[in-house]
Formats: sequence, C-alpha cells, structure tokens
Amino acid sequence: MTSLDFLPTFPLVPGDLALIGAILLVGLVSGELFRRLLRLPRISGYLLVGIALGPGALDLLDRELLATARVVLDVALGLILYELGSRLDLGWVRRNRWLLMTSVAESALCFALVYAALLWLAVSPLHAAVAAAIAMGSAPSVLLLVIHDERAEGALTEQALNLTALNNIFAVVAVTMLLAYMHLEYQAGVHIMLLHPVYLLLGSLAVGYAAAALTVLFAGWLGKREDLQFVMLVSMVLLAVGSALALRVSVLLTLLAFGVLARNRDQRRCLLPVEFGPAAQFFFVALFVLTGAYLEWKDLTLVGGAALVYVGARVAGKLLGILVFAPLTGLRLRKAALLGLVLTPMAAVAVVLVQMTTEIYPAFGAELGAIVLSAVVVLALLGPVAAQLAFRLAGETRQGAAR
Amino acid sequence: MSVLDFRRSEPFTCGVELELQIVNRRDFDLSGSASDLLPLVEKQLQSGEVKPEITQSMLEIATSVHRVHADMLAELRSLRDVVARQAERLNLGIAGGGAHPFQRWTDRRIFATPRFHHLSELYGYLAKQFTVFGQHIHIGCESGDRAIGLIHAMSRYIPHFIALSASSPFLQGVDTAFESARLNSVNAFPLSGHLPAVRNWAEFQTYFDSMRELKVVSSMKDFYWDIRPKPEYGTIEVRVCDTPLTVERAGALAAFGQALARCLVETGTGGLDADLYRVYGYNRFLACRFGLEAELVDVERREKVALRDDLLDTLQLVRRFASDASGAEALDQLAEDVQRRGSDSAWLRETYRRTSSLSDVVRSQCEVWQSGLRVLEP
Repeated sequence: MTSLDFLPTFPLVPGDLALIGAILLVGLVSGELFRRLLRLPRISGYLLVGIALGPGALDLLDRELLATARVVLDVALGLILYELGSRLDLGWVRRNRWLLMTSVAESALCFALVYAALLWLAVSPLHAAVAAAIAMGSAPSVLLLVIHDERAEGALTEQALNLTALNNIFAVVAVTMLLAYMHLEYQAGVHIMLLHPVYLLLGSLAVGYAAAALTVLFAGWLGKREDLQFVMLVSMVLLAVGSALALRVSVLLTLLAFGVLARNRDQRRCLLPVEFGPAAQFFFVALFVLTGAYLEWKDLTLVGGAALVYVGARVAGKLLGILVFAPLTGLRLRKAALLGLVLTPMAAVAVVLVQMTTEIYPAFGAELGAIVLSAVVVLALLGPVAAQLAFRLAGETRQGAAR
Repeated sequence: MSVLDFRRSEPFTCGVELELQIVNRRDFDLSGSASDLLPLVEKQLQSGEVKPEITQSMLEIATSVHRVHADMLAELRSLRDVVARQAERLNLGIAGGGAHPFQRWTDRRIFATPRFHHLSELYGYLAKQFTVFGQHIHIGCESGDRAIGLIHAMSRYIPHFIALSASSPFLQGVDTAFESARLNSVNAFPLSGHLPAVRNWAEFQTYFDSMRELKVVSSMKDFYWDIRPKPEYGTIEVRVCDTPLTVERAGALAAFGQALARCLVETGTGGLDADLYRVYGYNRFLACRFGLEAELVDVERREKVALRDDLLDTLQLVRRFASDASGAEALDQLAEDVQRRGSDSAWLRETYRRTSSLSDVVRSQCEVWQSGLRVLEP
C-alpha cells in the first residue's frame, strides 16, 4: 500500500443504507414532534416526512432508493398483516353472526357507494370497481399503531381489529378477482384472464397455510418462551414474504392468511400472542415514511374534488353499515359510531394494491393511482387523528398511555 | 334518628354477591369492558342484579334473598348463564378466582362513578390494586343486637371461610405462596380488620356516630371489615371469601354460612370474646398463607389445632342445620373436598404446573366457571 487508499474519497457518497437510516431518523423525529408539539398521532409526522422527501417533492428518497427500500416496506407490512390476521377470531365470528353481517354490510356499502360516486364522476366502470374494492380495506398499520400507542383495549378495539382483518381480506380478494376484467380489457387472452386471479388466490393461500402450519409446529416444539417464539415468528414472516415474492403471489393475502390460520388452527394453543414490542415501532416508522414517499402531494392538488367524493362515499358507506349492524352485535350506538371513525384510515395496503396493478398494466395503474392515492393522502393524514380521537372518546385507552 | 336503623329481616335467609373477572379471549388478561357488558346483561336479567365494581374489569352479580340452598343455586346458575351469553357476544370470558394471576394493576381503569373516583383519589394505587374478586355472603338477622352477637360468634370461623374459598395463589404474574393472596390487598386499607369490641347495636351506633363525627367515615361502606353489619338489608355480611372457581362452590359456601349461623344462634354459642380477637389477625394470616394446611392458635385450649380437622368437625356439626337437602349435600361436598385437599388454589397451581402458562390458567378458569366442573384436563 503506497498512498492513503484506505481513506474514503471526498466528496462523501453516502450509501443507500446510510440514506435509508437517515431518512428513518428524520421520520422518527418528525413523529415525535407531532406528538409532543401538536398532540397528533406520530403517524402523521412519519407520513409527511415521506411525502416531503419522496419523489414528488424533495426527491431525496428517489425512485431508485425507494425500490431498494421496497424490501423494508414488504417486511414491515408483512409483520403488520400477520398480526392483524392473528387478531381475527374466527370462532367469535361464527358465534356472533351479527359481527359477520356488520363486516359484510360495511364493506359492501362502502364498495357500492364509492363505485356509484366514481361512475357519477364519469370514471370508467373498471377503474371505479378497482378503486371501490381498494376502498373497502381499512389501514391495518394505522389501527395497530394507534392501539399500540394508546394501549387501547375493549369492545370497540376488539371489533375494530376483527372488522379490519375481514375488510382487508375482502379488499385484496376483490382486487385480485377484478384482475380478470383488467386482463379482459387489455385483451390478454382467456386463459390468462382466468388463470392469473386463481393462481394468485390459491397460491397465496397455500403459502399462508404452509407458513401457519410450520409456525404452529415450531411453537409447539419451542414451548412457551416469548423470546424464542418472537425470533421464530419474525423469521417465518420473512420466509413467507420472500416465498410470496418468489412465487409472484400476493404478499398481502399470503400474510393475512398466515396470521388467520396460525391463530385459528393452533388448537393446542402453543402460539403465544404476538408482541412485537419496541421492534414494532421500527417497522411502523419505516412503513409510514415509505408509504408517504409513494404518495404524492400533487395527487391531492390535481384531483382534489374527486378525492373528496371518494373519501366521502367511503366514510358514508362504512359508517352506514356499522351504524345499522354493529349495535346488533352488542356494541352501544355511540361506540358503533366511533367504530366507524376507527375504520376510516387508508394507507399502505391501498398503496401496495395500486402498485400491484401498475406492475401489470402501467397505464391502468397510473389512472387508478390518480384517483385512489389522492384520497389515500387525505385518509392517511386525517385517519389516524380520527382513530385516536375515537379510541379516547370511547374510553378504551389506558391511563398513562401518552408517554 | 340515626342512619343506622337495623331493618329486621327473616333470620337465616341468605343472599350472595360475587365479583367476577372479565377477561379477553386472546391472552386472557383482564379486559376493561364492564361498561359494555353491563347494559347487555341488565336487559336479559330475570332475577338478581348486576353491578359495576371499582375497576372496569370487574362485574358483580347478586342473587335475591333465599331461604333454601336449592333456590340459591338455581339462581346463581341462571345468573352465570345470562352473563356468559352476553359476554360471548363481545368475545369476553368470565372467570371466578380471587385475583387475576398476571394482570398489571397499572393497566386498570376506574369505573366512572363519583364514588369510585373519590375512592381512587383517596387511596391512590391501593384502589387499582384492589382489583381482586370476592364473594360476599349475607345472612338475615331479626335485630341489630342479634347481628352484633352473630358477627362476634362467626369471627372464630373466618379462617374456615378463607381456607374453603381460597382461590388466589397467583398475583402480578408470580406464585405468592399464599392460598389467598387477595386478602393481603384488603389488609392495606386503614379500615379493614374486624368489628370493634361492641356488645350490642346501641354500642355499635355510638361507635359509628363517633367515627362519623370525626369524619373518618361517612357511611358503613367505608368499613372494610371481614364481617360487617348491613343495617339497610338487615343482614351480616361475610366478606373474606375469594370468589370460587364455580357458582356451585359459591352456593356451597353460602350454605355453610347459613347453617353455621343457624347453629351458632340455636345452640347459643359465641358472643364477644376478647381472647379470640387477640389471635384473630394471626389466625387469619395463617389461613391465607397455608389454607387447609394451617395450624391455628386455639386460645381456649391453649394449643394448635389443624384447620382441616376443625373444619371437618364444624361441617359435621352444622350439617343438621342445613336449609334443605340440597344444602346438606353441598356441605358434604365441601367436606369431601377438604378431605382430599382439593382447594381451588391447589387446582390453579396444578393447572399452571401442567400448562406453564398463566394465560392458559385463566382460559381453564373460564371453562371451569362455565361448566361448573373443576376437573383437571387429561
């Protein structure tokens, strides 16, 4: 060695990893500032940093970096969907039939109203249908983070978790089935039109089922050790996300199925309830900052009116379904109304569903994104505030929760 | 007129209050859902009563007044079933047991009534730590004097009630080594313990009035005694029992209280005994700590007596004072349990040993509560 080659060359070029780390730190700080100064949920802070640094604005988090960070998004969303799935108690859904009715009603009314509203705005029927299908799902990430932050617990919390798990399943399955019509529209041929959705649905279910069976098996062998089961679960989630990506099936559906089946097939109760603890915070920050980057401020300014119609129709549909049926499940009317508020946020799942269509038919995805993402900006920023408020008004937060 | 007029009631009639645990069905921790569950249950209630308790995770059921055990048991079972049906709608579990094995008291929310908020402010963390679950047995008395006499006479049997009902070995996630850890939470309150050495209702009234003038208490509710008079019902109220794991056991404890009271009154035993109160606290501790295995201090005989033996003798003695055949059967069942060392606490410890998970223990508690059968899983 003759010169000082071991020193870095200037100007310094920060690697992708350093950049992603720095961006997450900025997100963390911004979330804390939102909480401390504005008393708003941290999520809004994370999202705004994502939007501000993303390709739509400062472009620090450019498309290339975003593609690199995609794996973080997938893992974070995978963990969250797994947890959401594991919160769905199928036994309860069977015992309390009104709960299923509530779920079907709020999802169906939401779909119908959004679809009708978009047709009225002269959106094409196929775009309207896919956008309406996406509208059915409530943001699992927002719900879990708000529950986590407020340490919420009670009848409303329980129903919100079960209804969100169900409406996400409905949304993902509906979008997948609508793929058939997309293929038809783009003249992809009958076999693709039929085979693709079937492959996505069955493939995701199979991967989810395999992951769940393995997890229950491992949990039984490991015993009730929280630390060991935690490592096992995170590894299994990585494995499931990776397998879903490799097999080109739906990551969303795979992980939801994984969670639901793991919880509900574990007859001997080997599996401890998931507590991702502080690790969850990391994934929440990552998820929301990256989700923010996929959203664009210009979406909001571009189709402001349409977004508001979309938001209005969606909230109306959900609220109506819930107000009619949730009281029959045993929930008081006031709490039912608050439950409607809790289900309003939309975030990462919607973004990922738009992405999925974009990957298959870019032109279709772009038009769809213009309608959906602008609404998601609104619902991702205001939704968490509404959800937090609802939990507090329902009296289901725990004292000393606001740290 | 004093607020403490003793309302006469039919002697040896009986009523029971049970504080129940409301848990979620995911990890079986306590769930703050009393205000959601209460209105649902109230709508379905045929008889008896449901009431909120100090924290949102407790529900109290109360029977009407009964002469015989058979009716009492029937009502307890119907109350249990109504509560269970409504709890299921909200995906909640209901469990007996004197304390939740692993809840963290800092998580508890106070039920929103002025009295509960006042208590929470006065007692601070004690109020939240008071998330423990007891059974109260009311026995009817024809007069205040009779009530005072009976309380003193029954005081000797406080260890017996404790050992028979003990069902709180775990607290805050650990095995306390106690059979009933619940009573330790009660002991922290300044007005706990036993009735002072008053000989009749008039003396008691004087005592109460002075305490009220000193602003120590404002009503009878402020005393947390093990047995206290309840003048507005015309009863004495035995408050030391943990909520048992089944309503059947709760009914049997009531039958024991009822038969014991009748036995004490009709054989003219008891009355104020200063010697007894000298060792009262110590014997009470022994019963909480060791349950049926306790060796009590017998002041009269100046020796130790095995609580198990004394309990078996007592059950035998009071059997002929049972309210009905069903009551006598319940007493026999208790005696059988005492003989084969089958306390609720022992069952809870055994279940924990098998499952090595307190969450599974509570799940089993819910199943036992529902089925009324305290058998070990195969």
